[in-house]
Amino acid sequence: MKKLIRVTVNDMEYEVAVKPNQTLVDMLRYDLGLTGTKNGCGEGDCGACTVILDGTPVSSCLVLAVQADGRAITTIEGVEGKDGLHPLQKAFIEKGAVQCGFCTPGMVLSAKSLLDENPGPSEEEIREGISGNLCRCTGYLQIIDAVKSVSK
Amino acid sequence: MSLPEFDFHAPGTVEEACRMVAGFGAKAKIFAGGTDLMLDMRRNRISPEHVISIPGIEELKTLEIASGMLTIGACVTVARVVKSKEIAAKWGALCAGAKALGSCLVRNLATIGGNVVSARPAADIPPSLMAYGASLVLKKTSGERVVSINDFFTGTGSTAMGPDEILTRILVPEPPPHSGAGYVNLGIRNACDINILNVSSYIALDGPGGAIKDARIVMGCVAPTHVRVNSAEKLLIGEKPTDALFQRAGEAALNAATPRGSAYSRASAEYKKDMVKELTVRTLAMAYREAMGR
Repeated sequence: MKKLIRVTVNDMEYEVAVKPNQTLVDMLRYDLGLTGTKNGCGEGDCGACTVILDGTPVSSCLVLAVQADGRAITTIEGVEGKDGLHPLQKAFIEKGAVQCGFCTPGMVLSAKSLLDENPGPSEEEIREGISGNLCRCTGYLQIIDAVKSVSK
Repeated sequence: MSLPEFDFHAPGTVEEACRMVAGFGAKAKIFAGGTDLMLDMRRNRISPEHVISIPGIEELKTLEIASGMLTIGACVTVARVVKSKEIAAKWGALCAGAKALGSCLVRNLATIGGNVVSARPAADIPPSLMAYGASLVLKKTSGERVVSINDFFTGTGSTAMGPDEILTRILVPEPPPHSGAGYVNLGIRNACDINILNVSSYIALDGPGGAIKDARIVMGCVAPTHVRVNSAEKLLIGEKPTDALFQRAGEAALNAATPRGSAYSRASAEYKKDMVKELTVRTLAMAYREAMGR
């Protein structure tokens, strides 16, 4: 039986009827149409489905949609501000940190979480911060450069 | 692959959760961090009729140090342990295990209790808990009991916990003065990796520069559960710590290890046996260094 949940996504409130066995990534993509969050491995290994849940980056394939009831989520669609792209997104473009783009939403959200908590991370901390996000175009160096360029 | 169909429950208290597991028995699975459970369900290894979600229960998220005891609620995330300076100062080997688990995304969901109850022989949290002599508090509707983590694992994926019980908290005694511990895990990469091997060692000295009066060595990935190396521990106790002694303890660990060698277990049996010796020697040296500084 479906359950009605209330969830805040990118500062907008939604009421969604979800099945108990529906994952958060599927709810975001299929019920809310927010396809920026990618469904990759489905097992928490690749980080393509990264979202920020109550301030913490998590793999949304490992969270059930019903567990998001009453909570706040930021997806890649919510990173852009009134003045356009987030500085981190601009840096990804400038440094050539995007190739196929599949890992990019997760990479940006993991990097954003890192910088929100630690605005001046070392290279090692940056590598650690994105360790749960796989890039198969192997653009890691450019991604690290992009994060560094907006670090304080 | 999609998840099997199940009914979802989110009890608000431990008591309510206990009543649910008592009622549903083996038809229910507990969802703590979900990082193991979601995989098991997706791969059709299990298909519970009921999923009982407990990360919302406040009581299970306690993390405190009081009167010489570290109490970790079962649903404390691995990330919280990684970030705790207090835990790092006194229980460094536990922090090292927490840092080695999954990636930061996984650690933000995975719980300390879940990593114990899943009872995987390659898990990062149990070895150091065993080395520090931790106990587990198991609760059911009629009351609670405390079991040593040494007696908890009965096989890969199976434990001494009854189907009507819930792990509520983990009690880790504060290591005495002149003691130390070390944890090392061996894998192919640093993040999102399943260990080839892991070892945690603890020693307590009889005063500064004294003989070893207590020792616990735990190895993972060489048997269906994490195992204590009693032969190595016996050989250490009563002796003055030296490199030669640690080499002999490593040799004892090598002889006690019964690893399965196959593509599935990620390395050959011979390699694992050699490495168990090396990691035992290394973790004992780490433990000794810490013991001398405390």
